[in-house]
Formats: sequence, structure tokens, C-alpha cells
Amino acid sequence: MNDPFQTLGVDARFDLDLGAVEKRHRDLSRALHPDRYADASATERRMSLSRAIEVNEAWRALRDPVRRAEALLTRAGVAFGDAGEPKAPPTLLMEMMEAREELSEAAHAKDAARIAGIASRVRDREAGCVERLGRGFDAAAGDAGKAIALLPTLGELRYLRRLEDEISAIEETLAE
Amino acid sequence: MTLFEIFDPKAAPRPIGIDLGTTNSLVARVRDGRPVVIADCDGGKLVPSAVHYDESGRVVVGAEALKLAASSPRDTIVSAKRFMGRGADDPETRRLGTYDFAAPATPEEAKSVRFVVHGRVVTPVEVSAEILRRLRTNAEDELKTVGGVVITVPAYFDDGQRQATKDAGRLAGLEVLRLLNEPTAAALAYGLEKRQNGLFAVYDLGGGTFDVTVLLLDDGVFQVKSTGGDSALGGDDMDRALAHRLLEAMGAGASPGHELVRVALDAARATKHALTDRTELDLELPTRGGGTTSVRVTRDELDALIAPIVERTGVACRRALRDAGVKAADLDGVILVGGSTRVPYVRSYVQELFGKEPLGDIDPDEVVALGAAIQADILAGSREHASDVLLLDVLPLSLGLETMGGVVEKLLPRNTTIPTGARQTFTTYADHQTGFDLHVVQGERELAADCRSLARFVLKGIPPMPAGMARLEVTFRVDADGLLAVGAKEITTGVEQKVEVKPSYGLGDEEVEAMLLAALEHGEEDLASRRLIEERVEADRILAATRKALASDADLLEPGERERIETAVAELAEVARGTKPALIHARVEGLDHATHAWAGRRMDRAIATAIAGKQVRDVETDVAGAQGLDAHLAAHHGDG
Repeated sequence: MNDPFQTLGVDARFDLDLGAVEKRHRDLSRALHPDRYADASATERRMSLSRAIEVNEAWRALRDPVRRAEALLTRAGVAFGDAGEPKAPPTLLMEMMEAREELSEAAHAKDAARIAGIASRVRDREAGCVERLGRGFDAAAGDAGKAIALLPTLGELRYLRRLEDEISAIEETLAE
Repeated sequence: MTLFEIFDPKAAPRPIGIDLGTTNSLVARVRDGRPVVIADCDGGKLVPSAVHYDESGRVVVGAEALKLAASSPRDTIVSAKRFMGRGADDPETRRLGTYDFAAPATPEEAKSVRFVVHGRVVTPVEVSAEILRRLRTNAEDELKTVGGVVITVPAYFDDGQRQATKDAGRLAGLEVLRLLNEPTAAALAYGLEKRQNGLFAVYDLGGGTFDVTVLLLDDGVFQVKSTGGDSALGGDDMDRALAHRLLEAMGAGASPGHELVRVALDAARATKHALTDRTELDLELPTRGGGTTSVRVTRDELDALIAPIVERTGVACRRALRDAGVKAADLDGVILVGGSTRVPYVRSYVQELFGKEPLGDIDPDEVVALGAAIQADILAGSREHASDVLLLDVLPLSLGLETMGGVVEKLLPRNTTIPTGARQTFTTYADHQTGFDLHVVQGERELAADCRSLARFVLKGIPPMPAGMARLEVTFRVDADGLLAVGAKEITTGVEQKVEVKPSYGLGDEEVEAMLLAALEHGEEDLASRRLIEERVEADRILAATRKALASDADLLEPGERERIETAVAELAEVARGTKPALIHARVEGLDHATHAWAGRRMDRAIATAIAGKQVRDVETDVAGAQGLDAHLAAHHGDG
């Protein structure tokens, strides 16, 4: 994956004006979408397909706080994922386990209100992580040493996202 | 078949849009800036999607075929769309129907439904191709020559169903410019007609498929936010529900036979239609014993029978709203599409579901074809303000790979804007593993066994290494038609083992080529002329595109480049009207090569202009920046 900030031509920062980025994605789509090159040569059709894919991928990455953080870490030259992130602290793992237990109880009881309560707590915590990452990346200003310090927060956000996905899946099943 | 007529220089080829429906199909085109449905010689606009095969091998399509359905239900295929891209063991083959199916001889054959008609085996792709051929003939009667075509598909069609539809187009001798999702086509027709901006839901209940799409209309950009549906849910199911009730009244018993089933299905459909304007209907039906019986059906009774079917659409609608991150109250309007939305119960259900009166002022039978015609016109570059309109559609179902334990790893989630791509690295799990099995699936379920299997292939020739050492990079690419291509390579050893696969739904490229050959009167000869025509089209396309670009972007040419391009243009123009497809092909490639670098610079400028909001002052600096991106792309794709 290329640097999504560069692909969309926007400032490389965590606190993005997503509305402006969406507009940029749309403007670039107007210029690059394969529909624009339907009567062009085969090379140009392939080129437009490749670039439209890059642009769509970049927009998908920047919309997602986890992938946005990863893109900034890549720019700073910091390894993440299995290669670079420290193991999650036991307290976080314990909390996640407890939340999962509560969730599975609520799901079993088809208790939509209780599930919504868990979901809202998870989302609040996610918002907290996103805010910390925003401040952190701002202060780091591309410095690898300072960016490394953000890895635990990113790890926490990953755990919360996974939990939120599970909650959505349960909510979906209950709604149907 | 008169292939050369297509390129009659006196009549320029015109793009057309086709709605290939479960029950009815239509063809439309843009005339004087407005989309219109093309009628056949009898003035009919809707061509029933029915194909009859007679003993002598003659094929009858449309209204005539539908008439023959009653007397020879087995040899008259209706609703072939419900079988497109589906396997021999699909539940659809076990529902109430009137067909005989061929038992598959091989696992590959089992991937596609095969009907038996008069001892002959035909696939849904061939049946659909007959319908498309008929629509093409109707269009040719009016336009003389038909250019490229946009064919619509249900938004919720998976990769196999899309590929099958595209092959049917190819088999009918059409140049398929694009597969377009039906709800998006409808929104295009509405949006351009009404010049409206806002957030809309399109509720599309047809004969055999249901789609719901949430999309944002913003100054000519139609951005799909989410889509959902069921590719086996529609008016046919309402007919079946009622037919079961009628068969009971007819004393049909457990195995009523194809003829009685056909009578019941036809009577059910007629009753459903009649109960749109009235509240009860009396029917005279034949009984099994050869007599007749009278049956009264009320609208309340019909509503009760179809309620469970209609309620299934609600599940998909709620999910689509959730995926789009919006509430029903946020919608500016709900657009009704598809003949089944004429049913009063469906209308009131939709109104209650979304909390607003749905829009239905464009004929729900025609709106999809009209949208397809507009898109065809845009793609053919003939529309005046083509650059103002853009459709950004999404992938309807997640794409992933089967991993250890049969669990699916999703590479692309549903509702990702297309075209799109993803890349993921996997590793070996056993020591000295030299091959890697890949299983590509589509669907939302956690286990691969519960998803649609798209392709299985093996990457061989990995040098023996300890477990976890090999790095296998898998790439998914989904084009603007929503069609997937998968690539895989081993990246640690440098010994590049690479495979590219296109998912198969049971008909391979060779089989489609063979069908194509068989469908042509003079076989090889016609195929050769067709190849020549295709090369000429490509030659004309690149010549026109190059001339246009030379007029607008000459400033981006480097010294000597213009001369090289002009030489290649002259060389191609010299042979483009000749009769040697291979020579034309070679010269097209020559021109493609000569313009490659320049095309990259022109695209850079298009990007820079889009980023800079057309401020030329900023463009120069942005172009410099964008060139780095181009190099990156070229390195990653080899074709960028």
C-alpha cells in the first residue's frame, strides 16, 4: 500500500477533516475513474484502473483510525503489528475477557439494551484512544522515537475495534 | 449473422443499455439527450424473458415463447436469471418449477445449472444470450448498428453471477462496456431527470431478485454507501406461494406434473396482477381429474401469503441502513423499482419501513433500462456533459480466503467502493511445504463452507523451508464491473511463482468460446471476422483517443515523442482498414507503447488538477509530487 496521504494529496496528520478528505476522494475519482477512460487506449484503461484502486484504498485507509495511525507510523519508519508492537498489558486482556463474557451473557439473554450499553462503553473508550493518538501524533510530528510511544494506544484501539465488530455482529443477528 | 453490418460506415454504432430481467427484459438508448426504451416491431417494450426450444432445435424468444410455456413447460425456460451462475445443487433447482435438469458429469459441470430441453443440454448463460440476442436485433432495427452495451445486474449478484452475465453478453455478440447495478441505474435515471441532491434508498423488488441500495447524490456524483439484498427473492416467490394454494384447490396432490404446475403458476401471476386494482377475484381452474373448479382469492388472502416474503426484504433494508451509518429518517426519498413494487402490500410495507411515501413516478419496469442507456451513453463518450456524472459503486459481498480451520479471512469487506484491491501476506504452516492451497470465497459467514466458493488453486514450486518462513503474497483486484481477479506469489525466495486466476462459475473461457463458435453460422470464418472487427474497434478507439490527446495535451510531450507517436499513428492508420487482425493488433500495441509515458504524464496532470481544484499555479508543483507516486505505482503493478 502506498502512502495514503500522498495518494490523496492531504496533510499527513491524524486529526484529519474527513469531510475534506472525502471531497478530495470524490474529485480524484472524477479525474481517474475507469468510466472516464472507457474510450481510451488499453494502457490508459489499465492505468486508470490501477490509480482508481489506489485512490479508493487510500480513502478507505484514512477513514479508519487504525489504518490512519499505521500510515503515520510507516512514514515515521516505525514497525507495527506483530513485528513491532509490544504485547498487550495483562490488565487490558483481563478487561477484554470480562467484556466478552458480559457480551456473551447479554447475547444469550437477547438483552438488546445491555448490549447497547456495552457498545456505548466500548465506543467511548475508542473515542478516548483516537483522541490520545491525535494529540500524540501531533506532538511527535513525524519523530520515530515519540511515535513508538503511541504503539500501546494503537494496540488498545485494535482490541476495542475487534470487540466492537463482535458487538455489531451480535446486534445484526438479533435484529434479524 | 451479419457481422460486418455492425460497422456500416454510414450509420455510427450507438451505445445501448439492457435490463436483463427475471421476468421481462428491455433495451433502451439515448435519443436527443433523453433515454427512451426501444420497442420491437409490434410496438412492445417489454420482452418476456422466456426462451422456447423446439424439437428441430429452433429457438423462440419473448412473448411467443411465453405462449408456448403452457403447452411445453419443460422446453420453455422462464426466469433463467434465477439460475445464473448457480450450481447444480442450488436450492433454486428444488423449488416449485417445471424443468428437467441434467445430472452433472464432473465437479466442474456441477458448478452450473444445466437444463434439459428436447434431449439437449442448455445452460442459463445460453438462455440469457438468446434473450440478449433478441434485444440486440430489436435495437438494430431502430439504430442499424449497435455499439457497446451496458447490461444491468442485481446489486447483490456475486462474482459468479456477474461473470455469467458478462459471458451471456459476449455470447450474444455484444461488446459489454460495463455491468451496472440495477438500483444504481435506477438512481441515475431519477437523479438526472429530477436534478436532485440528497440521500436516497432504492428498493428494487423484481421477478426474482431483491436489492436495496443507499446512495448519496451530490452534483452528478452517485455515491453508493451500502447495498444489500437477496438474489433469490422476488415476484416469482409470491407466485409460488399463491400457486401452492391454487394447486391444493385443483386437487393436484404431491406430484402435480409440469403442466398443472405451469397452469397454477400462470394463474397465480395473473391473480397477483389483477389484485393490484381490485380486492377479490374469481378463478376457473382445471382439476387433476380433467374437470374445472372455481376459486375465489381475496387481496387479504394474497397479502397474508406474501407477507413472509416481503418481510424478508425488511431485514436487508435495515442492514443496508446500518452499513451506510444512517437512519430511515435521514433519507430524502425512497425510489421504487421493479414490477413487484406494484403490489399494494409491498408499497404499504415500504412506506411503513422507511416512514415516507415512496417515489414511483418513473415506470418501475423501465427505469433500470433507462439508467443503463444513460450510462452506456456516458461511457461511449457521446454525452455532452459526461464529465459531470460519475457512479461510485460498491462490492456487495465480502471477499476473502479460507485459512486454517476453514475460517474466512476477509480481504475486502462488503460495501467497499469499487474498483478496489487488497494485498495480504500468508505463510506456510508445515516444514518443507512446497505448495500452497488457496480457496477464494465470497460472503459474510465466518466459515468458508457457508460462503460462495469462487476459486480454488494451488501455488506450486515453493522451495522447501521451515514452517512460517515462506511469504506468500495474495492480491485481490476488483474492477468497475465488480469482477475479481486474484494473483499470488512467493516473495522470500525471489524465485517468483506467480498465478493469476479468474473465478469460474462452471463455464470456462474455452467452453464459452466453443458455444460462441457453435452459435455462429459459419463457425471459424465468422469468428475470424469478429476478431477483425474487434481489432478495428480497438484501432479506431486508440487513434481517436490519441488525436484528441495530441490536440489537448501536446505541451506534455517530450522532444522526439511527437514524431514517434505520429509515426505509430500513421502506421496503424495504414493497416486499420485492412483485413489482417494480427497486424492491426501489433500496430495498436506499437501506438500504445509510443504513448505510454505520455499517458502517464497526462494522468498525473489530471490528478494534480483535481487536487489543485484547477489552479494552474499549483499544478506544476503537484505534478512533481505526483510523479513519485507514479513510479511507486509502476513498481507495484507493472502496468501503471
